[in-house]
Order: sequence, then structure tokens, then C-alpha cells
Amino acid sequence: MEPLETMQTYYKRRDLAARKWKAKGGKVVGYVSDDVPEEMIRAAGFFPFRISGDPWGGTEEADRYTEPFYDPSVRSILNMLLTGQYDFLDFIVISHSSDAILKLYYHLRDIQQIDSTLKLPDLHLFDILHTRFWMTGLYIRDRVRELKKKLEAWSGKEMSNEALSQAIAVGNENKNLLKKVSSLRAAEPSLLSGVESLQIIGSSMVMLKEEHNKLLRQFLIEDKRPARDGLRLFVEGSAIDNLQFYELVESCRATIVAEDHDWGNRYFDDPVDPALDPLEAIAERYHLKSPSPRMHSIGRRVAYCVERAMGAKSQGVIFFFLEWDSAPAWDYPDQKKGLEEKGIPTLCFDMQKYLLSDPEKTRIKTRVEQWLESIRRPSRK
Amino acid sequence: MTKTAEQGGATRGGGPTDPGSGREERTAKQLRSSVEAAAFQKDWFKNTRQRLSDGEPFVLANADTPHELFLTMDIPVVMTQWWSAILSAKRLSPTYFDLMNERGYQRGLCRYCSLPLACAMDHNPERAPWGGLPRPTLLLARLTCDAQTKIFERLAREYNATFFPLEHGAPTSSYPRWWERIKDHWDEVIESHRLDLMVEELKTLIRFLEVTTGKTFSHARLMDVMELINRQEEYYKKTRDLIAATVPCPVSLTDQIASTMNSQWHRGTPWGLHHARMFYEEVKERVEKGEAACRNEKARLMWIGPGLWHNTAFYRYFEEKYGAVFVCSIYLSLAADGYARNVANDPLRALASRHVSMTEFLYHRDWLVKEAKLHGVRGAVIIVSRSCIRPVGGSVGWKLTRMAFEAAGIPVLPIYSDVVDAREWNDAEVTSQVSKFIEEKVLPISGP
Repeated sequence: MEPLETMQTYYKRRDLAARKWKAKGGKVVGYVSDDVPEEMIRAAGFFPFRISGDPWGGTEEADRYTEPFYDPSVRSILNMLLTGQYDFLDFIVISHSSDAILKLYYHLRDIQQIDSTLKLPDLHLFDILHTRFWMTGLYIRDRVRELKKKLEAWSGKEMSNEALSQAIAVGNENKNLLKKVSSLRAAEPSLLSGVESLQIIGSSMVMLKEEHNKLLRQFLIEDKRPARDGLRLFVEGSAIDNLQFYELVESCRATIVAEDHDWGNRYFDDPVDPALDPLEAIAERYHLKSPSPRMHSIGRRVAYCVERAMGAKSQGVIFFFLEWDSAPAWDYPDQKKGLEEKGIPTLCFDMQKYLLSDPEKTRIKTRVEQWLESIRRPSRK
Repeated sequence: MTKTAEQGGATRGGGPTDPGSGREERTAKQLRSSVEAAAFQKDWFKNTRQRLSDGEPFVLANADTPHELFLTMDIPVVMTQWWSAILSAKRLSPTYFDLMNERGYQRGLCRYCSLPLACAMDHNPERAPWGGLPRPTLLLARLTCDAQTKIFERLAREYNATFFPLEHGAPTSSYPRWWERIKDHWDEVIESHRLDLMVEELKTLIRFLEVTTGKTFSHARLMDVMELINRQEEYYKKTRDLIAATVPCPVSLTDQIASTMNSQWHRGTPWGLHHARMFYEEVKERVEKGEAACRNEKARLMWIGPGLWHNTAFYRYFEEKYGAVFVCSIYLSLAADGYARNVANDPLRALASRHVSMTEFLYHRDWLVKEAKLHGVRGAVIIVSRSCIRPVGGSVGWKLTRMAFEAAGIPVLPIYSDVVDAREWNDAEVTSQVSKFIEEKVLPISGP
């Protein structure tokens, strides 16, 4: 199997690698959001597995306990956990990345109190805060130490600095290789689609990094890609953990050359500084990494969006907001203004369902095609 | 029935005076303490505006922030939620939210905390009540949800003011039966790392205030403020207990909220203590005279969630039609159980403990059930705002709260609407829902 095909398989069947690891006697730690230091999980001897939702999986069981108006991808995760679809997880780490994700932690904790027959993995809350202030950094440093103790308790052994440094090195290599892959996508003309990029990046979060790095190296050496045509687009807004929207947009003769969300390019923006004490470096990286909507000011979010969209030579920016995902939506008016001041046209889809219905897909496709045409038209004059 | 002294005027706290629907005639307050509070608020606002014109600092802060620090330093402060309630009661929320939506802010975003921002973005003092808020010099919010940073950053831009964010560490405990131990054992109830963080945040804020205002913070003065608050909150506890134990209910929910919150915003002042005592004595007098919010009380209800600011007359309709009386809400109950602290020698840490878990305590489902039982309610109505997932039903949402109530034999009705955005309110539909709930679920279990 070609490396891209392999990564696409793991992206599609996200539990595949973790289940194989489990079958060999290993233990798996699931984590929610890219704010959880996966390097620490690996250094503790576990398989780090990023938990995601499933747009096609429904939320019937979760709906017994939750109202329908919070981030649908998180409600989907709750549903999958309650229905045993993540039965291979031994432990779960949930970060304070957003209101919805924090609420997931409380729901899991409290539902177990109500329903004693429900067996869920042991939970840990990683309380990452909002601001970039030094005092917040100190708090996060303490939470990193707390996580270390928890992982050591789960594994029954001490986490050595050497193991953590090794996990950091492997993780940094992964980020570096993903950056090289992203340069294919950002090339003119682009040599990689947005859909393929999401598959490559996403598969990194559900495989061991050592294995993923091998695939990336092979891919970079072997793969000769045809040039893509169509307009170059940037995607801003909610984290997108599936392919529906990208497939729709790219079916309109366009290429998504970069994005600003943590299932895409933002995942590999910042390496962990190998020159620092490893635990300090982890704390600093997860405190100060690229600006997620919740942790950063509108000003920083605007600057990041404009810089990344321009850096990828985007000809337009599409905003995609999942319903009830409010943090990125607050940034939208200023980001739109900032982009348009640079001459970059924008299109916005707000309050979007996690699972796009056929009529909604048709509506999105029509609007994207009309918008792309409006961008192309001036260049024909 | 006593008419409020300030129909159409201002209050500073939880109860704006104007109603939000066509039920003005039923919003008149029954208590002298409510009337006095309204007059006090009016004077306070007028005096504050005068002070600000002399160049004094002024703070706009969220309701769950430690106002006690500002009181200690004699810096005037108003609450964003109070201002939001006023704007809503003045029926301005549709205009302001439409304006925000036109400027690209989606309709699904937070409403309760963002209405003051919408007003500020309008830059139209002629439209805003009383010419709008004076320009704050400092904005303060705890970052308890995803929206706070964004709202206050934008507010800071509109007012050209400094935004001071206070971090919010997430609770890891579920605080079982917190109300039994919080006053004297708050340092055991709340996780020490969360208290440590809050104390450090408060110290930083104090230094910031000292540097930027030239005023000096007094530890002894804070001790005084904290002790005064304990005395004030004790009156709320006695008032709550009296109301809970008395059938028929001596005070309407509208009066309870107005009298509680108007003085809560001034907690720690001599007037706050005076007013809490006055409120208690007036309720006691009404109990002794057998006066009731509704003489024909047949069923007791609980209101869960923030006050319905755009329609403060809402509750009264059900008293008149069914004898179904809303006898309790989070406002007086939290004042009774959640604010007092045995300060010992560390008032700042005690103060941190008051605010660090306020949201968690406020919508703690076991506490809500405890309050429901204490008041003998036979049904609860929860207002569920789609735009604010944190507070409603606490950290886990209203469905688990409903389960807890139903396990205690108390039916629950969720109302999907918004407490400040009148665009989401369908009076006929909600009235019909509550009527049906009372007829089918509440009256049958309420007894003769």
C-alpha cells in the first residue's frame, strides 16, 4: 500500500492502530483536543489516541443527558463513549479547551454517578487556561506536573526525562515532516488537496508517531504529485474532524491550501523546544502554541488568520462554523475585515450541522460555486 | 398595592424596574424595601455619574467578580449583567442585537453578557437608557466561558478602557453538599490550587488598581467589608428560611429578586446591611400579619435560571390564574447559602473562595433540589438559553438537573428562550406551556 493510501486508511478507521496496539497488550490513553500533551502520554508508555466524533454516528444516547445546543462534535464524542465505540481506551484525558469539552468531562463524571452500570475509563481533567500571562503559565506548569503524576499512577512507573525527551523528539520530527508536506500543498501550483492534507494530518493523531513519521518520509520521497488547478482557498473557523466540507469545496474546482484549525495546519505549527527541560518545555509549548480561538484575543486571531491566508497565497477565505461553537465565531467580523483590507474575499457558513444533509450540501456547493465565479470573473476582464 | 417610586427608572441590581411585556400593571412591587432600593439606586447612579465627571475611576465588571475589592478602595463599580437587564427591560435588546447581527456577529452567540457590548457598539447615547453608561476606565471579567475574553476585548475597544481578565480554573470536585460546609470550611470545600490561583489573580488586580488609581488598598478595611457582608448575608438566610417555611408565600418572586439583588450589589456597605435587615423585617411583618404574594396560593413553583429581564411580570400571571406561586429562585437562595465566609485571618483567600466556584454552586443540582424541598415546591421551571451553555443547569446542563428533580418527585418544565433577548420570546406559547405544566403536572400533586 502506498504511504498516502495507508494514512488515508488510518484516518478513515481511526481506531485501527490503537486496537492493534491493544491486541498486543499495550494500553491506550484517549485524549480530547490538541491541548493535551500527547508526548507525555507516549513517554509514559501508552498509545496516545486523539478522540474524535463521528458525524454519521448520531447522538441518541448523549441526548438523554445533554441539551442539543453545544458543539455537536463533542456531543458525538459523548455518544460514542456512552455506546462503547471507544471500548479500547484504558484512560481518558480531557482538556479545558472549550466550554463544550469541559462539559464533556463533567457529563462523563456525573453520568457515571447516576448510572453505576456504565463503565468508562478513568478520567483526568487537564485544566489549561485562557490567557498567555506568565501566571497562567505557572498554573499550566503545575497542571503538567499533575498530569505526569496521573500518567505515572496509571502506568505504575516513573516517567523519565529521557523518555519524555525521546517522545518530544519524535513528535517534533512529526511536526517538521508535516510542515514539509504542507509546503507541497502551499506550492504554486498546489500539489496536494485539502482533503488529502486532512487525512495525512489527522492520521498522525491516531497512529504512533514513529510509524507515522516513516510513512511521511516515504511519502515525501516517493510521491510525485500532479499539479492541481482551481482557486486557492483558506479555511477558517471551527475545527473540522471529517472530510465532508473539504470534499464539497474541492469538488468546485478549488484547492484548500491551508487552514486555521487543530485538525489541520495548526496542529503542527509549534514544536516543543528541545533545548529546555522537557517538562518545562511541554508546559510552555501547550501554553503558548498557535492561537486557538478560545485562548487568544481577537487581535491575535485576526493577525494569525491574515498572515496564514496570505502566506499560502490564498485567493479567498471560507469561514465554516459548527453550530454552537461560539469561540471562533466571535472572531469572524474582525477576521473578515482584516482579510478584506488585504483584498482577500470571504464567504461564511455559520451554524452548520456536524452531519451535512444532502440539501445543505447542495446549498453549500451552489454558494461556493457562485462565490468562486465572482472571484474568477475580474481576472477574465 | 404599593407602586414603585421609580416606574421607568433605574435600579442597580437584579431587578430592573420596567417590565418587558404588556404586563406593566402587574409588576408593581409589594415591599417598601423594594421601593427604597429603587430610590437608593437612582441616587447612587446620579452620585456616581457626578463622581466620574470629577475624573474618578469607574469599573464595569461581571457579576461573579469580587466587587469587594472596589468597595474597599472606594471605586464605583456596576455589573454588566445589571446593565444587560436594564437594557432588556427597556425593550432595547431586539434593536441592539439586530445591530450586532448586522455587523457580522452571529445570532447564536451569547446574549446575556454581550448586550452591554451591543449597546456600546451603537454609540448612540440618545437611544441608551440615561444616556448610556459612563465610560468605564476598567473592565473586569472572570474567564468562565469561551465568550468572556471576546466580549470584553471588544468592550475595551468601544470604551477605550483596560480589560483585566481573571483566570478561571476548572473545578475538579463536584462539591457534594457544599452548602453545609462552605461558610466555615471553604478552604476544604474548594480545591487549594484553584484558591491559590484566584488569590494570586486578586493580588495582581489590587496592585494594578493601586498603580493606576493612586489609591491604597487596606487589608483592615477588607476585613471590615467581609464581616459586614457576613452580617448582611445572615439576614438573607433568615429571610429565605422565613419565606420557605411560610404558606402562603409572603413575598412575590419579583420582590424577592429586586430586594435581594439591589442590596447584594452593595454588599459590604452600611446601606447593604440596612437594606437586608429592612427586607427581613418587612417579610417577617408580612408573615405575622398573614399577608401573601397570592392569597389564593394553591401550588408552589421554583424558577431556575437568571431572571426573565425582558418580562419581569411573567410570574404573576400564574398566581392570578392558578394560584401557582413562584416562591424561590437562585438569587435569594444563593445569598442565603453561598456568600458568607468565616474570614479567619485571611480575608483575601476567603473572598477568593466566594467567587471561584460561584457558578458551580449556583446551578449545583443537589443544592437546587435541596432548595426546592425546603420551599415545598411542587414544580420547577428552568429557563434554558441556547446561547449560554455554562450557567443553565450548571456544568452538566439542565437534563441531569431535571433527572435529580424528578428523582425527588418534582416535575420540571424547560423553557427554551433567552433572559434578555426578547426576539426569542413568544409570550403566548410560553404561557401556554407553563399553564399546561401547572394543570397537568403541578396542581395534581399540590394537594388541597
